Amino acid sequence: MKNSRTINLAVNKDSYSIIFNAMASPCEVIVQTTDKQLALKLGDIVAAEVWRIEDKYSRYDHKSLCSAINSNAGQSVAIDEETYQLLTFADHCYQLSDGLFDISSGVLRKIWTFRGGSVQRTKFPSQTQVSAALSKVGWKKINFDRQQITLYKGMEIDFGGIGKEYAVDRGIILAKQLTSNPVLVNLGGDLAVTGPRINNKTWQVAIEHPDVDSTLGTDNSADMIVSLKSGALATSGDARRFLIKDGIRYGHILNAKTGWPIALAPRSITVVSPQCIQAGILATLALLQGCNAESFLTEQEIKFWARR
Amino acid sequence: MKTEKINIKAALTIATAALLGTNNLAQAESSTTASAEENTWEFDSAFLFYSEVDRVSAGEAIFNAKKIFDNEEVLNLKLTVDALTGASANGAVSQPTVQTFTRPSGSGQYEIAPGDTPLDDTFHDTRVQFNGQWTQPIAPDYIASGGVHISKEYDYLSLGVNGNIAIDFDRKNSTFSAGFSYFQDTFTPEGGIPKPFASMLIGNSNDPSWDEDFAKTRIGSEDDKSTADILLGFTQVINRRMLMKFNYSYSMVNDYLTDPFKILSVVDSDGAAQDYIYESRPDSRIKQSIYTQSLYHFDTSVLDVSYRYMWDDWEITSHTIDSRFRIPLGDSFGTESYLQPHLRIYQQSAADFYRPFLLENEALPVFASADYRIGEMTAFTVGIKYGMLVNNGHELAFRLEYYRQTPTDAGFNEPGVLKDVELYPTVDAIIAQVTYSF
Repeated sequence: MKNSRTINLAVNKDSYSIIFNAMASPCEVIVQTTDKQLALKLGDIVAAEVWRIEDKYSRYDHKSLCSAINSNAGQSVAIDEETYQLLTFADHCYQLSDGLFDISSGVLRKIWTFRGGSVQRTKFPSQTQVSAALSKVGWKKINFDRQQITLYKGMEIDFGGIGKEYAVDRGIILAKQLTSNPVLVNLGGDLAVTGPRINNKTWQVAIEHPDVDSTLGTDNSADMIVSLKSGALATSGDARRFLIKDGIRYGHILNAKTGWPIALAPRSITVVSPQCIQAGILATLALLQGCNAESFLTEQEIKFWARR
Repeated sequence: MKTEKINIKAALTIATAALLGTNNLAQAESSTTASAEENTWEFDSAFLFYSEVDRVSAGEAIFNAKKIFDNEEVLNLKLTVDALTGASANGAVSQPTVQTFTRPSGSGQYEIAPGDTPLDDTFHDTRVQFNGQWTQPIAPDYIASGGVHISKEYDYLSLGVNGNIAIDFDRKNSTFSAGFSYFQDTFTPEGGIPKPFASMLIGNSNDPSWDEDFAKTRIGSEDDKSTADILLGFTQVINRRMLMKFNYSYSMVNDYLTDPFKILSVVDSDGAAQDYIYESRPDSRIKQSIYTQSLYHFDTSVLDVSYRYMWDDWEITSHTIDSRFRIPLGDSFGTESYLQPHLRIYQQSAADFYRPFLLENEALPVFASADYRIGEMTAFTVGIKYGMLVNNGHELAFRLEYYRQTPTDAGFNEPGVLKDVELYPTVDAIIAQVTYSF
């Protein structure tokens, strides 16, 4: 996953962009400055932080702490303060979603395969398979405290639902420490800004339409432009990964309680929040509501865009 | 169902703040709607009326403007205008006979009826005060602040500067702060600065030699006072509901600390006033205080209790207990509102040179003042504040308080007629305030 850990600098009209790859996504840091050295330094710092978080919490990297926790299921694994805080946050999300959001639900992906546009190759697992996988899911069975975490044998956790958004927020914190110039941190579409651009101008952020590249023809294929002066936005959902059964479309987000994908949810939801991790969770929690996703967010008085 | 879901957003905000160490919840909340709201000014205005029974009345208007910039810099500007009228105790003791005093300016005299506490009724002044404060983060977990102060009255000018640094640690659960302030005041009372212990000139102010004689009781037209303060503070979040603050302050006041309007009665062995002399205080004072405050957040209400102990090298010590309890009333009156009872208890011991009067046949002490404000006393304030949110989330609040100050009999032997007069009169005051934030 760690192909080419380098950063590239691009010059824009009144800013620099630092481009790198992390977490299987194209990443970009934009800083509104004419100071090239500042831009390079900022890029180094943010990229290093994002890679650090990737190395620590990626479930694909067998050297990561996440892998250590998973491969030592059944025994206690020592954790640090940062990990404790992330687990505590995940715990809050579990409680708030009444168990729908569960960072131990990743094992369900072993029985569900989502492929973009593969309408014909729809293959659903049997309920027996689902029940067997579900027996290895359950955040409340996991014991953790400030010093350690203990999983039951066969269980796994992953930080996929919060790691990238957390990295965005960390990037913003570090950017603010380095410079008061306006900065945008974009990790594969989940992004945040330190504040408005110079002269209180907004950042114009294009959100890629999920159906671009999709084999499904659709009439609203244009990118969406969002104006942002502060805070963050995160998108949950992926139109390329879904299943259709009996005419019902199932997105790739899984219900940790039933072990099934969520039906009738929007293809994607983009949420605006003060922090990226909050935006990401709200978008995911909304998708977990299925057909009630939009009303869930409306009732929360949250700014969002949903695509169905 | 709706309230339950609103809680998800609020709970997530708290969880996020804990994770990212951005403990500033208000900031996080406000920036959600920030696209249009940021960079606007917040204004507060307050009108206060203070009235002591038979004595001073004051009206005060406060206008505060605050602006928060993008990088959490805060600019705060405050303008205070107050007007004071009425009478203030001049320090002389009550007598069974009529007493005549010369006004501080030297032009004209006033008479006090038998049995009345001598009050100088020439008090009227308008004060304009300006404070500006700039606060900004200078590094992660470091916040610096600096400010200026200008205050001008008819006979008084005060200039001040201050600086403060606050350091957060333990993921912003603890804050240590250190600050200083320095004030330079210039006093130019009408009639000049009286000579300490000079006798108040009483007689015919139209007499040709009056002005010359009056000038002999003066040592100049103005004098200065400087105040340097150091403040150390520590704030600790105890848990989700409780916050504690500890402060220590060290204050050095130098030069002219005497009140040019205050005198002492010199009485004979029958208690009859023979002379009135201008008071005299030391030219330095070192004050120290410790302060602790605790805020406790119940499910809906908030209790705020503080205690201060102050001591100085004038031998004054004081204890202050202040408590407020904020009780939200919900929207039972059609608008969101709260009630806030207030109780303050104050107790002070006298300065070592406090003398309610001096005896004729005694040697003059080095310093003496009969100012009731440095005598032994207890005081309490009880009050209530009612606040409500009016249209657009602006807050309107009313405060009504009653203040009573009771001097303690200082235990001086009271010769003759002084046994029959009130040497330690109580002071009662009413405070009314209206505040509007927009």
